[in-house]
Amino acid sequence: MMETLFENLTSGSMVFLIRQTLIYAVPLMIVALAGVYAERSGVINLALEGIMIFGAFIGVLFVRLVQQWGWFDAVKAADNWVGLQGFMLLTMAVSALLGAIFSLLLAFAAINLRADQTVGGTALNLLAPALVLFLIRLIANQNTLQMATGDSASWFMLKKSMFGYGRTDEVGFLFDTFVNKVYLATYVCILVFIIMSVILYCTRFGLRLRSCGENPQAADSLGINVFKMRYAGVTISGALAGMGGFVYALTTTNCTSNGDVAGFGFLALAVMIFGNWKPLSVAGAALLFGLFKCIAASYGSLYVLNGAGEQIYFLKDLGINTNFYRLLPYLITLIVLAFTSKSSRAPKAEGIPYDKGSR
Amino acid sequence: MKKFLSMLLALTLVLFAFTAIAESVNPDDIPDEIVAEDGKYELAFVTDVGQLKDKSFNQGTWNGVKSYAAANGLTYKYYQPANGDQATDDDRYDAMKAACEGGAKVVVCAGFLQEAALRKAAETYPDTKFVFIDGYPIDLENVAPIAFKEEQSGYLAGYAIVKDGFTKIGFMGGGGGTNPACCRYGYGFAQGVSAAAKEMGITVELKYSWQYGASFSASPELQTMAQGWYENGTEIIFACGGSMFSSIVSAASANDLFVVGVDVDQSYESETVVTSALKGLVNATSWAIGKFYAGEWDEVGNIATSLGANDDAVGLPTDTWSLESYTIEEYEALLASIKDGTVVIDDTVLEADAIVNAGLENVEIIYE
Repeated sequence: MMETLFENLTSGSMVFLIRQTLIYAVPLMIVALAGVYAERSGVINLALEGIMIFGAFIGVLFVRLVQQWGWFDAVKAADNWVGLQGFMLLTMAVSALLGAIFSLLLAFAAINLRADQTVGGTALNLLAPALVLFLIRLIANQNTLQMATGDSASWFMLKKSMFGYGRTDEVGFLFDTFVNKVYLATYVCILVFIIMSVILYCTRFGLRLRSCGENPQAADSLGINVFKMRYAGVTISGALAGMGGFVYALTTTNCTSNGDVAGFGFLALAVMIFGNWKPLSVAGAALLFGLFKCIAASYGSLYVLNGAGEQIYFLKDLGINTNFYRLLPYLITLIVLAFTSKSSRAPKAEGIPYDKGSR
Repeated sequence: MKKFLSMLLALTLVLFAFTAIAESVNPDDIPDEIVAEDGKYELAFVTDVGQLKDKSFNQGTWNGVKSYAAANGLTYKYYQPANGDQATDDDRYDAMKAACEGGAKVVVCAGFLQEAALRKAAETYPDTKFVFIDGYPIDLENVAPIAFKEEQSGYLAGYAIVKDGFTKIGFMGGGGGTNPACCRYGYGFAQGVSAAAKEMGITVELKYSWQYGASFSASPELQTMAQGWYENGTEIIFACGGSMFSSIVSAASANDLFVVGVDVDQSYESETVVTSALKGLVNATSWAIGKFYAGEWDEVGNIATSLGANDDAVGLPTDTWSLESYTIEEYEALLASIKDGTVVIDDTVLEADAIVNAGLENVEIIYE
């Protein structure tokens, strides 16, 4: 009995499930944290979707240009995966930088001009896909921007073959799940997520930022520059969302950009709300959603092992309409939101432009 | 310095001119957009759903238009119906209208989905000729329907990979299981797999799916699904649907496994492609346009043309052959027996899961 359980927990199906769940969950997680940063500083960032789209575009464009310039041709030819990972990290940094710059539009409208933040965010959401599609059409003469050569997996994915194993070699559960066929970007995002969460909760800067989202007047009276803090919140938010956008494109769409991230920005907003604006809950919510998203797309390939070691494809054998599985992630989001929204508590001053005169 | 630079510029230009003459023309190198002096474009192309540069159906047809135009010094232009994958008949009609008003003498329309719009356009512009790729006669003399025997191409591919030693095979098709061309590809592929397995006395597994390909586009879901198949033992997937290729290749590349390409030789796009089920889009398109300029439109207008092995319009790419156990000679022998009718391939359009009950032997079909 215990043996069967253990075999199931380390089976190929489980490896696949964990790996794919992370691929879906990580962009959501990092973009939801982007939302947390903006809202904790008092600015509603509805523009997450738009910034993601922009970040994905910038990342793909950067990869494409660098490939055309041939900067990493020698590195690729030598199969130097460390160098290629460096290329990927550089691209993530570029996406983050441009994402931050793009979000300044929102910051300027919301903080300096005291415009309605919801409207400002919506404007960016409308602007981003249009702008991106326009540029893609100029650059590539069509609606999708692709890498100049190759595919994302052959350039950027970590595979066991890089570590000297053959294609059929057994490498063990942990190695197979967390090193083989994953993108380093996934772990970089998790690391950034942890660091940024610690900054938000355990540093003076984090405390000040959060205070501006709860009671900016009080913060101001203690000598905190609310404008500066809110600018910091929105810019960090833009950087995280831009990076999340590129990571989404890299890991799930073969490094292409087409002015669309399948609503992941809006999903990140939902994840942020049912994560109750707290990083740990946000991570949990993202994983939950990622899990169901993965099940929806690959239920036919998931099996459990019975005592005799046979693979039982239980989800497929149920014979439920495939559309039901595709519905699951969204259904779960709705249900969880319905149950958790009662206890959820948004930052008090979010959405209200700060006016020094009002008390 | 200035003089030196201008000399250099002149030199490079001359060099470029020479190389341009020396090299045979690759259709992909012909520019996609040109500017006509009078603003009129004689040859027009209206795309199917999916991208112009889908490295497959649209691109192949477009290359046919461009090669004819380049060889004969004609102006050309492509038109993409608005709203992308969600294009309506009106969007398609608007694209065709724009083409006709833009001075087109021949409008090439790709994809059977264009029928309704094409009918309207052909009636409105009776003097313009239309080439209906993947189409059938619609009772209009100015419409030349060109179809292909995709089942032959699919058969050749399926047969080849089983003979090459693959035993766990996948098929992911576009159009949601209702696109006739994709259904023929799929059924032909399954027949080829079955025939080869029977000869070898083995039973092979064939996973068969129309999911996530309804709009012939790449998607995260498709990539995850393909990833799942590869993880569970599938060794090679026939990516039968335009831009779906991108998602499936990404999954194949992650697993160091393989893909069968479609419509055009896709081995240039990825190392994972071992072979491609070809259909001679480039030749067929320029052939049909040529009929108009040769004054032989009667031979194609409103006549069902179905191009197959006998027209050299289907097959596998022998120039980029990478199969090891299965040789080009064996392939050519099989092609010859298709041509002379020894091997007959059923061209029935089996929609959705009808393949499961097709009674194919030596193949275990898992429909998803």
